Amino acid sequence: MKVAVFVSEYRCNLNPLEYIPAEKLGFILVGNGVYHAVLKENYQDSPILQQKGDFYVLLEDLETRGCETDCINPKVKPVTYDDLVDLIFYEYEKLMWLQ
Amino acid sequence: MGYLTIGCFASLTGSMNYDFLLRLSKAAQRKGHRVSIWFSGNGSSSIKKGQKILKDYSHGEKHLRELISNGVEICVCESCAYARGIMKEDVIEGAKWSAMHWFLSKIYEADRVLLIGGE
Repeated sequence: MKVAVFVSEYRCNLNPLEYIPAEKLGFILVGNGVYHAVLKENYQDSPILQQKGDFYVLLEDLETRGCETDCINPKVKPVTYDDLVDLIFYEYEKLMWLQ
Repeated sequence: MGYLTIGCFASLTGSMNYDFLLRLSKAAQRKGHRVSIWFSGNGSSSIKKGQKILKDYSHGEKHLRELISNGVEICVCESCAYARGIMKEDVIEGAKWSAMHWFLSKIYEADRVLLIGGE
Protein backbone atom coordinates (compact mmCIF):
# COMPACT_ATOMS: atom_id res chain seq x y z
CA MET A 1 0.00 0.00 0.00
CA LYS A 2 1.34 3.44 -0.97
CA VAL A 3 0.43 6.13 1.54
CA ALA A 4 0.71 9.89 1.13
CA VAL A 5 1.16 11.60 4.49
CA PHE A 6 0.15 15.25 4.60
CA VAL A 7 2.10 17.20 7.21
CA SER A 8 0.52 20.58 7.96
CA GLU A 9 2.22 21.54 11.23
CA TYR A 10 5.85 22.19 12.18
CA ARG A 11 5.42 20.28 15.44
CA CYS A 12 3.73 16.93 14.89
CA ASN A 13 3.59 13.45 16.32
CA LEU A 14 5.20 10.73 14.18
CA ASN A 15 3.92 7.81 16.30
CA PRO A 16 0.95 7.02 14.04
CA LEU A 17 3.43 6.11 11.29
CA GLU A 18 4.49 3.04 13.27
CA TYR A 19 1.05 1.55 12.71
CA ILE A 20 0.91 2.14 8.96
CA PRO A 21 1.89 -1.02 7.01
CA ALA A 22 2.91 0.96 3.93
CA GLU A 23 5.22 -0.37 1.25
CA LYS A 24 5.87 3.26 0.27
CA LEU A 25 5.42 6.54 2.16
CA GLY A 26 5.30 9.97 0.57
CA PHE A 27 5.48 12.96 2.91
CA ILE A 28 3.70 16.02 1.51
CA LEU A 29 4.61 19.17 3.42
CA VAL A 30 1.86 21.83 3.36
CA GLY A 31 0.90 24.84 5.48
CA ASN A 32 3.39 25.30 8.30
CA GLY A 33 4.64 21.80 7.53
CA VAL A 34 6.75 23.36 4.75
CA TYR A 35 9.23 24.52 7.40
CA HIS A 36 10.40 20.91 7.70
CA ALA A 37 11.86 21.35 4.21
CA VAL A 38 13.89 24.46 4.93
CA LEU A 39 14.78 24.54 8.63
CA LYS A 40 17.38 22.60 10.61
CA GLU A 41 17.61 22.15 14.36
CA ASN A 42 21.08 21.70 15.87
CA TYR A 43 22.39 21.34 12.30
CA GLN A 44 20.12 18.29 11.86
CA ASP A 45 17.39 17.70 9.30
CA SER A 46 13.86 17.66 10.63
CA PRO A 47 12.87 14.27 12.13
CA ILE A 48 10.36 13.96 9.30
CA LEU A 49 13.13 14.05 6.69
CA GLN A 50 14.90 11.28 8.58
CA GLN A 51 11.99 8.92 7.87
CA LYS A 52 12.13 6.44 4.98
CA GLY A 53 10.13 7.77 2.03
CA ASP A 54 9.78 10.44 -0.63
CA PHE A 55 9.37 14.09 0.31
CA TYR A 56 7.46 16.86 -1.39
CA VAL A 57 6.86 20.50 -0.41
CA LEU A 58 4.00 22.69 -1.63
CA LEU A 59 5.61 25.61 -3.47
CA GLU A 60 2.70 28.01 -2.93
CA ASP A 61 2.85 27.54 0.85
CA LEU A 62 6.63 27.91 0.82
CA GLU A 63 6.62 31.13 -1.17
CA THR A 64 3.86 32.72 0.93
CA ARG A 65 6.21 32.25 3.88
CA GLY A 66 9.09 34.02 2.12
CA CYS A 67 11.21 30.88 1.73
CA GLU A 68 13.35 30.64 -1.40
CA THR A 69 13.39 27.43 -3.42
CA ASP A 70 17.19 27.27 -3.24
CA CYS A 71 17.03 26.70 0.51
CA ILE A 72 14.87 23.56 0.15
CA ASN A 73 16.53 20.43 1.54
CA PRO A 74 17.81 18.38 -1.45
CA LYS A 75 15.76 15.38 -0.27
CA VAL A 76 12.55 17.35 -0.87
CA LYS A 77 10.91 17.91 -4.23
CA PRO A 78 8.93 21.16 -4.70
CA VAL A 79 5.43 20.64 -6.13
CA THR A 80 2.46 22.80 -7.11
CA TYR A 81 -1.21 22.13 -6.39
CA ASP A 82 -1.54 20.61 -9.86
CA ASP A 83 1.38 18.26 -9.17
CA LEU A 84 -0.25 17.43 -5.84
CA VAL A 85 -3.44 16.31 -7.57
CA ASP A 86 -1.39 13.97 -9.77
CA LEU A 87 0.43 12.54 -6.74
CA ILE A 88 -2.92 11.88 -5.08
CA PHE A 89 -4.43 10.08 -8.04
CA TYR A 90 -1.48 8.41 -9.77
CA GLU A 91 1.32 7.94 -7.24
CA TYR A 92 -0.38 7.06 -3.94
CA GLU A 93 -3.43 5.05 -2.92
CA LYS A 94 -4.23 6.14 0.61
CA LEU A 95 -4.08 9.64 2.06
CA MET A 96 -3.31 10.52 5.68
CA TRP A 97 -3.39 13.88 7.49
CA LEU A 98 -0.76 14.01 10.24
CA GLN A 99 -1.49 16.39 13.10
CA MET B 1 -10.24 10.81 -14.35
CA GLY B 2 -10.76 10.02 -10.66
CA TYR B 3 -12.97 10.88 -7.76
CA LEU B 4 -11.62 12.58 -4.63
CA THR B 5 -13.74 13.06 -1.53
CA ILE B 6 -12.49 15.30 1.25
CA GLY B 7 -13.75 15.52 4.82
CA CYS B 8 -12.98 18.84 6.47
CA PHE B 9 -13.54 18.41 10.14
CA ALA B 10 -12.12 21.23 12.16
CA SER B 11 -11.41 24.19 10.01
CA LEU B 12 -12.78 27.67 10.36
CA THR B 13 -12.53 30.59 8.02
CA GLY B 14 -8.97 31.83 8.46
CA SER B 15 -7.57 28.36 9.04
CA MET B 16 -4.71 27.24 6.83
CA ASN B 17 -6.24 23.77 6.58
CA TYR B 18 -9.40 25.32 5.19
CA ASP B 19 -7.45 27.42 2.66
CA PHE B 20 -5.56 24.29 1.62
CA LEU B 21 -8.86 22.42 1.14
CA LEU B 22 -10.22 25.16 -1.13
CA ARG B 23 -7.09 25.27 -3.30
CA LEU B 24 -6.67 21.51 -3.56
CA SER B 25 -10.33 21.08 -4.52
CA LYS B 26 -10.02 23.80 -7.16
CA ALA B 27 -6.88 22.20 -8.63
CA ALA B 28 -8.42 18.71 -8.74
CA GLN B 29 -11.64 19.99 -10.29
CA ARG B 30 -9.72 22.05 -12.85
CA LYS B 31 -7.81 18.90 -13.87
CA GLY B 32 -11.11 17.17 -14.61
CA HIS B 33 -11.47 15.05 -11.49
CA ARG B 34 -14.71 14.74 -9.59
CA VAL B 35 -14.58 16.24 -6.10
CA SER B 36 -16.91 16.26 -3.10
CA ILE B 37 -16.42 17.98 0.25
CA TRP B 38 -17.96 17.13 3.61
CA PHE B 39 -17.94 19.75 6.35
CA SER B 40 -18.45 18.74 9.97
CA GLY B 41 -17.26 19.80 13.40
CA ASN B 42 -16.12 23.42 13.32
CA GLY B 43 -15.87 23.09 9.54
CA SER B 44 -19.67 23.19 9.45
CA SER B 45 -19.59 26.95 10.08
CA SER B 46 -17.74 27.47 6.79
CA ILE B 47 -20.91 27.14 4.72
CA LYS B 48 -22.81 29.98 6.39
CA LYS B 49 -23.78 32.57 3.77
CA GLY B 50 -23.37 36.30 4.11
CA GLN B 51 -19.63 36.20 4.80
CA LYS B 52 -18.26 39.72 4.38
CA ILE B 53 -15.16 40.15 2.22
CA LEU B 54 -12.63 42.13 4.22
CA LYS B 55 -9.27 43.28 2.81
CA ASP B 56 -6.30 41.04 3.74
CA TYR B 57 -8.65 38.63 5.50
CA SER B 58 -9.32 34.98 4.66
CA HIS B 59 -12.64 34.44 2.91
CA GLY B 60 -14.38 31.21 2.09
CA GLU B 61 -17.85 31.84 0.70
CA LYS B 62 -16.80 33.15 -2.71
CA HIS B 63 -14.52 30.13 -3.24
CA LEU B 64 -17.22 27.68 -2.11
CA ARG B 65 -19.75 29.24 -4.47
CA GLU B 66 -17.22 28.96 -7.31
CA LEU B 67 -16.54 25.30 -6.50
CA ILE B 68 -20.29 24.56 -6.40
CA SER B 69 -20.84 26.28 -9.72
CA ASN B 70 -18.03 24.16 -11.20
CA GLY B 71 -19.71 20.95 -10.12
CA VAL B 72 -18.04 20.22 -6.79
CA GLU B 73 -20.52 18.64 -4.36
CA ILE B 74 -20.42 20.32 -0.95
CA CYS B 75 -22.36 19.02 2.04
CA VAL B 76 -22.56 20.04 5.68
CA CYS B 77 -23.36 17.85 8.68
CA GLU B 78 -26.77 18.95 9.92
CA SER B 79 -26.09 17.94 13.53
CA CYS B 80 -22.84 19.88 13.71
CA ALA B 81 -24.51 22.88 12.09
CA TYR B 82 -27.50 22.84 14.43
CA ALA B 83 -25.13 22.48 17.38
CA ARG B 84 -23.52 25.75 16.27
CA GLY B 85 -26.80 27.58 15.75
CA ILE B 86 -26.63 27.33 11.98
CA MET B 87 -29.98 26.60 10.36
CA LYS B 88 -30.70 25.15 6.94
CA GLU B 89 -31.73 28.53 5.58
CA ASP B 90 -28.33 29.96 6.57
CA VAL B 91 -26.50 27.70 4.15
CA ILE B 92 -24.87 28.88 0.89
CA GLU B 93 -27.17 28.11 -2.06
CA GLY B 94 -26.20 24.85 -3.73
CA ALA B 95 -24.59 23.34 -0.64
CA LYS B 96 -26.25 20.18 0.61
CA TRP B 97 -27.52 19.52 4.14
CA SER B 98 -27.30 15.93 5.33
CA ALA B 99 -26.00 13.46 7.89
CA MET B 100 -22.93 11.24 8.15
CA HIS B 101 -24.36 8.62 5.77
CA TRP B 102 -23.85 11.12 2.92
CA PHE B 103 -20.12 11.20 3.57
CA LEU B 104 -19.88 7.43 4.13
CA SER B 105 -21.44 6.84 0.72
CA LYS B 106 -18.90 9.19 -0.83
CA ILE B 107 -16.02 7.44 0.95
CA TYR B 108 -17.28 4.14 -0.42
CA GLU B 109 -17.59 5.51 -3.95
CA ALA B 110 -14.44 7.64 -4.21
CA ASP B 111 -11.02 6.60 -5.53
CA ARG B 112 -9.23 8.75 -2.98
CA VAL B 113 -10.31 9.89 0.49
CA LEU B 114 -8.66 12.68 2.48
CA LEU B 115 -9.65 13.76 5.98
CA ILE B 116 -8.41 17.25 6.86
CA GLY B 117 -8.73 18.36 10.41
CA GLY B 118 -7.18 19.68 13.52
CA GLU B 119 -7.31 23.15 14.94
